[in-house]
Amino acid sequence: MSQVPFPRFNARAMADDGDELQFCSTCAFSHACLSQGMDKAALMDLHVLVEHIGPFHAGDRIFSEGDPFDAIAAVRAGTVKTCVSERDGHEHVLGFHFPGEVIGLNAIDGHRYPCDAVALDTVMLCRFSFPKMSMLAARVPGLQRELFRLLSRDIGRAALLSGDWTADQRVAAFLVGVSRRLAARGFSANRFQLTMARADIANYLRLAPETVSRVLRRMQDTGLLAVDRREVQLLDRAQIDALAAPVLRE
Amino acid sequence: MPQTALAFDADLLRRYDRPGPRYTSYPTAPQFRADFGEADLRAAAAASNGDPIPRPLSLYVHVPFCHSPCFYCGCNRVITRDQARGDAYVTRLEREIALVAPLFDRDRRAVQLHFGGGTPNFLSAAQLAEVVGAIRGQFRFADAHDCDISIELDPRYCDPRDMPVLAAAGFNRASLGVQDFDPAVQRAVNRVQSVEETRAIVDACRAAGMRSVNIDLIYGLPGQSLEGFGRTLDIVTAIHPDRLAVYSYAHLPQLFKPQKQIDETLLLDGEAKLALLQLAVEKLTAAGYAYIGMDHFALPGDELAIAKSRGGLHRNFMGYTTHADSDLVGLGVSAISHVGNTFSQNPRDLPSWEAAIDAGHLPVFRGMRLDEDDELRADLIQSLMCQGEIRVKDLQDRYAIGFAEYFSQELARLQPLVEDGLVTMSPESIRATPRGQLLLRNIAMCFDRYLDQPVTDARPRFSRAI
Repeated sequence: MSQVPFPRFNARAMADDGDELQFCSTCAFSHACLSQGMDKAALMDLHVLVEHIGPFHAGDRIFSEGDPFDAIAAVRAGTVKTCVSERDGHEHVLGFHFPGEVIGLNAIDGHRYPCDAVALDTVMLCRFSFPKMSMLAARVPGLQRELFRLLSRDIGRAALLSGDWTADQRVAAFLVGVSRRLAARGFSANRFQLTMARADIANYLRLAPETVSRVLRRMQDTGLLAVDRREVQLLDRAQIDALAAPVLRE
Repeated sequence: MPQTALAFDADLLRRYDRPGPRYTSYPTAPQFRADFGEADLRAAAAASNGDPIPRPLSLYVHVPFCHSPCFYCGCNRVITRDQARGDAYVTRLEREIALVAPLFDRDRRAVQLHFGGGTPNFLSAAQLAEVVGAIRGQFRFADAHDCDISIELDPRYCDPRDMPVLAAAGFNRASLGVQDFDPAVQRAVNRVQSVEETRAIVDACRAAGMRSVNIDLIYGLPGQSLEGFGRTLDIVTAIHPDRLAVYSYAHLPQLFKPQKQIDETLLLDGEAKLALLQLAVEKLTAAGYAYIGMDHFALPGDELAIAKSRGGLHRNFMGYTTHADSDLVGLGVSAISHVGNTFSQNPRDLPSWEAAIDAGHLPVFRGMRLDEDDELRADLIQSLMCQGEIRVKDLQDRYAIGFAEYFSQELARLQPLVEDGLVTMSPESIRATPRGQLLLRNIAMCFDRYLDQPVTDARPRFSRAI
């Protein structure tokens, strides 16, 4: 059986509940304990910090800009959009977060969340109290490294789109990025649903919605990919990768 | 080609002649629910705008009025000769267009606009042009060669001089109701229509530059005979329309009141009906028409026939089309919309539709949201109706199911159809045989989850399959 397209239920890729010695399979921090061979005591300590919350439904606010910061959260299921609203009400999309990814990292610096987090579909989260987590990180080097790794990845991703790229390059880089992130969580790499609306994709890529569709339609006409409603199938991965390469600095 | 469909024996016919939906939608309209309303349609439209490549739009306008009642009719219509009702209707249609159009992003193109009824040409050519103009003002249309703008015409109330007006308004396809030219049958169904007036409208449509003309016939009408229907088929093939539909008459007088006026002693039994269908298939095939599916035929050079041979055929409430899946927007009383994974329907009675429009509401009175199982079955039935085939791997991939396990009951239900030679089954594909082509709805019924459920209302809901 081939790998399951996101966000269809996938017994291997979706979160199980874990236990005191085993994290949820999607957990952002499972990497830390698996690779670092975290000891049982540390694992249990980390588990105590975890609180499963949700479900949130499409459009629900998970946190809002200015809310006091006290926790980061790992996405267990669904997709979360982070964004800021300008004074004129115009929204600015900062990113999308898939299962296994962490939201709230950009609040670590201050005492308040610097953006909104909105559920795009049915979202389940693992909430980690940040003060307690920092204390634990001081004792468990693997956890600290993991936090730094997540932080730097978050910053790097945001910088990608600031360059002077064509619409085709931006769209290709977006698709490759989504593909890699989902594949890393055990979902199909070349077939997935875009759970965010095209207006959100366009906003994130600094393109007009019509342009996103026009680029995708052209890619579809030339056999690079196929789109059916929200589902995208990458058919010519080499060409899409080549288009995305300059943006992704490869 | 369906010649082998003629090999039916009486026993087989009796077994398969049972009520079933025509599957212009799945689930079918009786499944729509009253708890689906305006807000749900708005949400569905917003979600459909969010697709990476939003689907194009197909628009349907229902005109409910008829000058006189045809007794066989099962459509939603109002009999009147009061032309002022047309004015009031057009005014409200324009309001509905203005209410509905903003739901859809402006870059979504309309590829299909169809006027059905009732009798669309109850409205004057000027009124029809006005409605098309209002729609063009609010929706962006694809280039003319990529866009079907079609209308059902009753030739008895058409003036050939109106055809250039309709063509100038953008209409490029016309569909004419004929049913049967046999005078005895025409009297029995209260629709007396000459060959001359029919031919005059066909000629006028062609002279005005319309791309395609369709003619509708019906078999199974009261008093029909092989001789009379044979003459009708000869006349019609001589008129040489690009497309032909040969519908089965469904006698459901409890459901369709006008049918109570039909003299039931003149109705045909199933075998006589099948003989008429055989005759139609033979004569149309001999005249060079290709079988499209269900009850539709087309000349081999017609876009539908070409699309059929290339696997590019689709089907929606307006019947077969060459346009890939679009979101369907229904306007007017009783019209059905299909936006994203939802169906919704406007009120079926004029006063309720008018009241909703006057109050500034989207006139939704019922509908439903399809779940994943509904979408899977809709997809399966669509490919059966259009390609005559279910490709197992396509569905397995698209819906992440194991086909044989998921549909174990359905496949068991299909077994007698396999034994009767209507279907062939392999692990890769389920395919209608030539004799199964005329019984596609019986094959589809095996996959209809809702047919198993008890119907609360004792009235028959669907016409018989043949």
